[in-house]
Amino acid sequence: MNKNLKNILGKVGLYSLLVVIVIYLLFPFYWAVNSSLKNENQLMMTPATFVPRDFDGNFSPTFENYKSALTDSQFLRGIVNSTIVAFSVTLLSLIIGAFAAFSLGKLRFRGKRTTLYLILAMTMFPQVTVLSGLYAVITAFNLSARLSMIFSYMIFTLPFTTWVLTAFFKALPVEIMESAQVDGATPFQTFRKILLPLTAPALVTTGLLAFIQSWNEYLFALTFTSIDPGARTIPVAIALFSATHARQEPFGEIMAGAVIVTIPVVILVLIFQKKIVSGLTAGAVKG
Amino acid sequence: MSSKVNAKYGISKLAKREERLAYKLVLPALIVLALVAFYPLSQVFYASFTDRTFASARETNFIGFENYKRLFGITIKELPPIIDEETGLQQIDEFTGELEFVAPFRILPRNPRYNELSRFNFFGKKYVIGARDPDFLRSIGNTLTFTFFSVILETILGMIIALTINSKIKGKGPMRAVMLVPWAVITVVSARMWQWMFFPTRAGFFNAFFDRIGLTDGSTGFLTDVALQMPAIIAVDVWKTTPFMALLILAGLQTIPSEIYEAARVDGASKPRQFFSMTLPLLKPTLAVALIFRTLDALRAFDVFHVLLGGRRYSMASYSYFELINNRNMGYSSAIGVVIFFIIFIFAFLYIRFMGVDKDE
Repeated sequence: MNKNLKNILGKVGLYSLLVVIVIYLLFPFYWAVNSSLKNENQLMMTPATFVPRDFDGNFSPTFENYKSALTDSQFLRGIVNSTIVAFSVTLLSLIIGAFAAFSLGKLRFRGKRTTLYLILAMTMFPQVTVLSGLYAVITAFNLSARLSMIFSYMIFTLPFTTWVLTAFFKALPVEIMESAQVDGATPFQTFRKILLPLTAPALVTTGLLAFIQSWNEYLFALTFTSIDPGARTIPVAIALFSATHARQEPFGEIMAGAVIVTIPVVILVLIFQKKIVSGLTAGAVKG
Repeated sequence: MSSKVNAKYGISKLAKREERLAYKLVLPALIVLALVAFYPLSQVFYASFTDRTFASARETNFIGFENYKRLFGITIKELPPIIDEETGLQQIDEFTGELEFVAPFRILPRNPRYNELSRFNFFGKKYVIGARDPDFLRSIGNTLTFTFFSVILETILGMIIALTINSKIKGKGPMRAVMLVPWAVITVVSARMWQWMFFPTRAGFFNAFFDRIGLTDGSTGFLTDVALQMPAIIAVDVWKTTPFMALLILAGLQTIPSEIYEAARVDGASKPRQFFSMTLPLLKPTLAVALIFRTLDALRAFDVFHVLLGGRRYSMASYSYFELINNRNMGYSSAIGVVIFFIIFIFAFLYIRFMGVDKDE
């Protein structure tokens, strides 16, 4: 009896802790959704309400903020720019990274250890440091703002994709390569026709993480688009979002924009949940 | 030619071919990294010794360590008391009742200019610390404070969340999905969400909430009050990055075999005892890696500082950006970049050294 009670209490405690955690993790997002459905008067109502209400206290949401966010050319251009940049970075770092990873994971050559350590060290490279130097490179090559971002984002996506993919290539059994070699396939053919298809799941995982990292990037984007506002990505557009004629910062629109750009990523993340977790923890956890 | 030599020759030829292919495949990655990281890094080192300006045709001069001297230039001067000529005693401020001292700007050197960083008392005398660039030295302090508190809080919270999810409960899958939501939100977007929750009237969530529970009058400027800026910004970062910590710790927990807990239970070890003498040591490698990732990330924090505090308070990264874009001091900004590079390098080195990350390879 006593033990039973203790058990039940333990369970209750555990589940209440769980509820607290869920509320903590989701509340800011809920608040953004809530605020995005309020009009300007409702936003400034004190105290703030947990759902959009009119003056009589009735539930009355508005979709005005979504309408104005979706007709805002800065915001829409931001989505297009972010998509172009993030897709290109992902594709490039997957291709270049997979080549290097195959070499590092499956081929024998002198200087392999050094290269591996170099790439591991690169995953910790502080991007801020090279901000001004990168700018010099970009002016030297006369790159457009969008190309500059695609080019510079590889500083953080490429070491990461190479490192994770190398681990995947290493884990593939040597016999596959050997039997292909016996059949007369060159190492490159083995790579393209046999190993690459086998690493498809790893490519999806690392690609997704590279995509999210690029989608998220702010410092380089802010710097490189300072002279070309038309190339601004979503983080820059949202950070600089300001109303054309309101005195206040248009938080309703900003929240609507925040919800619009977050929902696709959240859906993507939920679909690929397991892969993302395994990708994030790859290398960090042995066993 | 014997067949043995032939075979050996064949193998080495194959090996040569393999090596050539290997170099060809690694090369593109190395070229890209050289262009985006190593060459710019060398440029930054070089520019840090010049007075180069950003996006202008002005001539660049080599100025040696001048940028670094400016960054770290510091001096301590005693503040003499103001003596009342009639009484011969130190003057007392009429309003605050405090002893009066000469204003720091009269005492601090002017060429080059030193500004007040802080003051302190020592054996009854008052001193002022002057710095040539107090904003930069403060940005180091801000970044270290931010890193220290956010990483510790994230680790503790992440541990609690991971342990909760790892215990025998239903709904582990959905919980893991919920955890990924803050992680998936763009940092700038999460900063904007919190900025709105921190709104300085009761239209903002926190003011409405604290007013409701009677803690404040509901008009706290979380992002403008100097004492609250750091806690506010740490809260945003902790919310955003705790899931990453929790996921890593959870993955580490799942590699610990459950049999050892059963054995510990049989031996009568209490839950806290089990945690401190089994779970924690076994988690050490995972924790070490997670801590490195998070610490190095926090040391280069830019997004939250730039969006939430703008020019009111800098991190090292946002100060470097400010000097580059707003003040166009490319050389000076490069020197800041070099300092950041070394600070991060030292942290990475210490972690790897003391947490024994390299040992279990």
